[in-house]
Amino acid sequence: MPERRPDRALGPGHNDFWQWCAASELRLQRCATCGELSWPVVATCEFCGSTDLAWEHMSGRGRVIAWTTFERDYYAGTLPIPWDTILVELAEGPLFLSNPKGFSWPDITIGMPVQVAFVDCEDSAGPFRLPVFERGQEAQGGD
Amino acid sequence: MPQAIMPPPSPGLSRKAAIVGIGETDYHTDYQAARSRAPGYEAPSVESLSLAAFERALADSGLSRADIDGLSVSFTFGGPPPMEMAALLEIEPGFAIANGNIMAGPLPVVCAAIAEGKARTVAMIFAVASRSIGKQFGGASDAMAEGMPASYYYFHPWGWSSQAAHWALMFSHYQATYNVREEDLAAVAMQVRRHASATPQAVMQTPMTSTDYMASRYIVRPLHLFDICLVNDGAVCLIVTTPERARDLPHAPVEVAGWGEAKIRNRKLDTMVRQRLRPQMQEAGGQALDMAGVALADIQLFEGYDASTIHLINQIEGFGFVEPGAGIDFCKDGGMAVDGRLPTNTGGGNLSGSYMQGWSQVANVVRQLRHEAGAQQVADARLAMTSLVQTDQAHPLIFARGEN
Repeated sequence: MPERRPDRALGPGHNDFWQWCAASELRLQRCATCGELSWPVVATCEFCGSTDLAWEHMSGRGRVIAWTTFERDYYAGTLPIPWDTILVELAEGPLFLSNPKGFSWPDITIGMPVQVAFVDCEDSAGPFRLPVFERGQEAQGGD
Repeated sequence: MPQAIMPPPSPGLSRKAAIVGIGETDYHTDYQAARSRAPGYEAPSVESLSLAAFERALADSGLSRADIDGLSVSFTFGGPPPMEMAALLEIEPGFAIANGNIMAGPLPVVCAAIAEGKARTVAMIFAVASRSIGKQFGGASDAMAEGMPASYYYFHPWGWSSQAAHWALMFSHYQATYNVREEDLAAVAMQVRRHASATPQAVMQTPMTSTDYMASRYIVRPLHLFDICLVNDGAVCLIVTTPERARDLPHAPVEVAGWGEAKIRNRKLDTMVRQRLRPQMQEAGGQALDMAGVALADIQLFEGYDASTIHLINQIEGFGFVEPGAGIDFCKDGGMAVDGRLPTNTGGGNLSGSYMQGWSQVANVVRQLRHEAGAQQVADARLAMTSLVQTDQAHPLIFARGEN
């Protein structure tokens, strides 16, 4: 059974992101002009305004740099409470807001390594695959 | 409806307008009435709140309706257009504008209008009926809107929403960075509550202990209920005029000396969580200080945007009053008390006073600089700073006591 989730943002650009997720690939937009990665999805590079953007495959590795656990229901029963969220610094640099999979508060610690995983979900637009994060391996040879 | 654009900070606009009247609705009494819902209770409207605040500000200023030749209205969740409001207030302004909503932007717009001679004496009205309309900050109904920061809608599929969640992310990172416990943050909630306890207007006046704080329920861990501001109904009216006109009026004028503006342009989550908007506060704070021709060390009291406890600390640190990581200890040591190095949110702020989207802070600064703050008076207050820092932008204002 797919997990029910609040609605995604859909439309140009956004749809590409979710199509890559359906193929179990986390891809973000890298600007060919200035080289920076933008996230969330943009129409033009958030650093230089260029439209020359390409979907680059992320390693899926990262570490937790912040977290918050909702004890109040903001989604009218769609999600169980408490509800854990984590902010992951991807190995490539951008910060990615997501959920932990296979661990939960109070076992979320700042700095813990994580690895992307995809879970089957659905919203009012239909089924989709959502990138979340499992415990990862400590980086070899320093970070 | 087209909205006024905030004028860039410029020394030529410094002290070209002064606040000479303030009016606020009864935050405490209205909150109690809304809670108890006695038979016959009628929820306030934007119109009724606006009229009440205007009448008080006008009386406070010593002016008459005929003196008001400008009107500026600021409604976050809707309200009548300016000329409808003018009719309601029974004034006939030649200059009437819809002027943003939360504080910072609207006041510089009016100062510039007065400096340019578009109006001489402007009534500025802010009103909100968040509580009465059941406004919830966050959730699926907070949909994508033009110009809204991406974080407010984008993360719904991960179940992440609400302003409070922004502050919670910041604090979990802050805790790890500076080795801070939840109970340390209680000091901020308790300090602001102490101020509220001495302020009859404040919604929450019952003294708070650290035990009370820790026992308050979590909203978004690691933040408790007492870390988050009070959504409420109310209105604030400011009467603003030229420094020359202000000299003839009963109260010491409070001149608008400086303002600034800086926004996050990219890496929003990083700037918000790891830097807690310090770059924006440094930039906008520098603009405001330069415009006013004063130094940060000259600021005698501070009214920050305490949407949450940790965010008040973000501002004390971000503008440079203390070093990053030193804000909570500064509070614990009494630095934010009325007799501290930087008296902060002496009217109870948004946490315990009332969340008026930055406007009540300005009213409180006016009382302080007039030396009418009673038991909460900061000795010989002459220069103050307010701050409206949202999750993606910083807007400080600097005020100076004028002479009359």
